[in-house]
Amino acid sequence: MAPLRSSQHTLTGVYALDALDTDAEVARFERHLARCQGCTGQVRGFRVTATRLGMAVSRPPPPALRAAVMDEVPRTRQLPALDDRPGHRRAAPRPTWLPRLAAAGAAIGLAAAITLGVVLVNTQNQLSQARHQLSVTKTELAAINAVRTASDATLVTKATSIGGTVTVVSSASRDQIVVTTRGLPALRAGKVYQLWLIGSNGNRIRSEGLLVLHNGRTGPVLISGVLSGDIFGVTLEPAGGTVQPTVKPFVAIPA
Amino acid sequence: MRASEPEMPRPEGGGDRYLDGLLARVARGDQAAFEAVYDGLAGPVYGLILRVVRDPAQSEEVSQEVLLEIWRTAPRFDPAKGSAATWAMTIAHRRAVDRVRSAAAAAAREQRTAEVPVPHDAVADVVEASLEAERVRRCLDGLTESQRESITLAYYGGFSYRQVGERLGIALSTIKTRIRDGLIRMRDCLGVS
Repeated sequence: MAPLRSSQHTLTGVYALDALDTDAEVARFERHLARCQGCTGQVRGFRVTATRLGMAVSRPPPPALRAAVMDEVPRTRQLPALDDRPGHRRAAPRPTWLPRLAAAGAAIGLAAAITLGVVLVNTQNQLSQARHQLSVTKTELAAINAVRTASDATLVTKATSIGGTVTVVSSASRDQIVVTTRGLPALRAGKVYQLWLIGSNGNRIRSEGLLVLHNGRTGPVLISGVLSGDIFGVTLEPAGGTVQPTVKPFVAIPA
Repeated sequence: MRASEPEMPRPEGGGDRYLDGLLARVARGDQAAFEAVYDGLAGPVYGLILRVVRDPAQSEEVSQEVLLEIWRTAPRFDPAKGSAATWAMTIAHRRAVDRVRSAAAAAAREQRTAEVPVPHDAVADVVEASLEAERVRRCLDGLTESQRESITLAYYGGFSYRQVGERLGIALSTIKTRIRDGLIRMRDCLGVS
């Protein structure tokens, strides 16, 4: 892949302070990081150092914060551990989660582009190759495939109001969905596609990151911690994304 | 706190392994353990977010999100990659930076850029003059002025390195190395292994 460039080496400090400018810059540096042991060690030490800077400005939080957090805890589902062995599974599948659709996993196929706007993956062969080339972890790729091939996988493809389609493959037993898109309009400068999970009562909205378009396609993107009744949506937002959606989703699909 | 102590400062009576152990229990859904984690981390998390975001109401909101994210993602915490405190503070800093760089905050941010603190004050005006703050301040004093400015603007100010460069009138490539060299010096001064 990309040659080791000294300009990437010197970004360790900037990266550790979350001071890179764009998600693309972060992605590029993380690809470098995956192959640069020296950088990894340095970033780790810098994070510890930054933590010390953070600890130094500790302040007693407002008393109301504690109650607010503790109220939410029982309602907030924890993510499954990544090495999710069967015995460690947290919840039983919820049968009412979504109607089952047959042959879901197959339809999405292996033709989808594997991630981060770098490489299009069309065959199983390239898939394993991509594992080394991209900063997608092996576990993440495995999780994506596990969702697609899960026995309770369901698939919904929907046309969006701005063109193109979005496909969501859901697995209730894994609390995960995999999202791919086709034919979304190219982005104007300064705009990004942002993904959201919206709670059933609408009062909990969580950003699930930005989409990277490559040759008019994206994904697959893995989203974890999906709750019963969640709606998945995509909005067009200013570069860098926002904390809460500023416009209505141009596509919304039950997750 | 002795100079030889490794890594993280601790909230009262805590310590790295203590928090790591608690987090392992949180990962199994233990709410009592989470309350103890809250007691250890809420102050540092809130203080850091307040430093970056500056608005108390928004800081409280972001702190709540971060503390719930700690609960939610505890099963994904890997102690082999670093301490629980570093993990939590990394999340807190990212969320704070997300907040100040979001579109909604952009306008407000433009207004407040005029009043961004002289970087050195970032630590100096801490209410609690804790030993840790003293130590961090001493180490910041050991940096060159431009290293100190670059690091405090980026970390406490939440500015991207491009913005830091613009504010200080320094080329991007120089900012990169200033931040890195400054962090190396800070790391060594604080005795981070």
